[in-house]
Amino acid sequence: MACQQYRSSIQDLVDGTIGPIRRAELEQHLEVCADCRALLEDLERLRDVARSLDDRPPPDGAWLQIAARLRQEGRVRDLPRVSGSRMRIAALAMAAAIVIVAGAVLLFVARGRQAPASAAPATAAANTGAPGNAAPPPSVESVEAELDQAEQHYETAIKGLQQITASGQQSLDPQVARTLNKNVQVVDQAIAESRAALRAEPASVTARNSLFDALRQKVALLQDTIALMNEMRKGNQAGAAQIVEGRS
Amino acid sequence: MATSKRTVDRSADLALVERCRRGELGAFEELYRAHAGRLYTLACRMLGNPSDAEDLLQEIFLAAHRKLDSFRGESALGTWLYRVATNQLLDYLRSRRARAGQLTDGLDDMAGVADDMTARIGDRLVSKLDLDEAIAQLPDGCRAAFVLHDVEGLEHQEVAEALGIAEGTSKSQVHKARMRLRQALGVRL
Repeated sequence: MACQQYRSSIQDLVDGTIGPIRRAELEQHLEVCADCRALLEDLERLRDVARSLDDRPPPDGAWLQIAARLRQEGRVRDLPRVSGSRMRIAALAMAAAIVIVAGAVLLFVARGRQAPASAAPATAAANTGAPGNAAPPPSVESVEAELDQAEQHYETAIKGLQQITASGQQSLDPQVARTLNKNVQVVDQAIAESRAALRAEPASVTARNSLFDALRQKVALLQDTIALMNEMRKGNQAGAAQIVEGRS
Repeated sequence: MATSKRTVDRSADLALVERCRRGELGAFEELYRAHAGRLYTLACRMLGNPSDAEDLLQEIFLAAHRKLDSFRGESALGTWLYRVATNQLLDYLRSRRARAGQLTDGLDDMAGVADDMTARIGDRLVSKLDLDEAIAQLPDGCRAAFVLHDVEGLEHQEVAEALGIAEGTSKSQVHKARMRLRQALGVRL
């Protein structure tokens, strides 16, 4: 059969691998051969449908069986999983706690800046309660009490963050987690030193500003940690990299 | 832009694989959810039946978990998994043929195809379902080559490497598969 010699050329034409000379010969033949034209059209249609075939969903129980075998072989460990929405809520709660801390610190510092060290009003309540009256200078005890209050908010925020990081620690690269912890230690050291200075000089604006700066750094670090965890949870490496680069 | 996206994807792949290496089951589930559909479909088409494909899907992911250390991020995670899957599927096909006593030609299905020019598809609609069913009826060697080349879009050279056959054999297997499919889906004049 004369057409037989063109079968291979037709297949190559469908594959897109035919050379120009064979193609020209084939095209001449196709002009006069209805059978070969029909074959070419059929094969092209098959190729087009084959390329458009859809994926099938895997069977429902397949993952459970794979997970069971991985557990059985001791190759995986289950972590206490926090769903994305729960993590987001926890992060929002943490963000809110940080705002409270920041607010408390700002209020404290604002009070500290409001008046000279020798005649600063101890509390806002004292100001509003007795306008025009000179308030007594802040005692060591009153400054300590305010500091303690701010610190309490601050510690609450830290505690909340630690709970989140404990459950989501796996989402952080170990090296990144170590770097963040190191940064936390440095900031904690600065806070401790500022606090000691303020204890020694309760009316010192410099000591208060120093404490405020250290607390603000810690707040920023906490915010970045939360943002980083969220980006890692979402699998957004680019977003995570931006946060890490922003801190380095 | 494309390079940047690829870099981001690769680093996301590496981060996910690193979590899997540390034994985090949730991370491996993420990997599974992202790639199981494509690999299950490949298994169904290469093996010709969903029951075997489900068994092999498990073997593919268990093998992938064992080989996680060999993933370096040089190719996309999907490509790496695809290679793991193809190797598993071909091993299975070879052992199936060995069990059936067909050891002589490996996956090279040399059985001839009747050159029936009276079976044409013509203007008939070829549904995806019909084509999938017809693919399932192909002999193993033909089917593997056709699926990798015409469905998955590999070049003949890549198909040949994957199947351990000559490039010319890949072409011949794909061509035979097309003729068989045309015959199966066509109507006689």
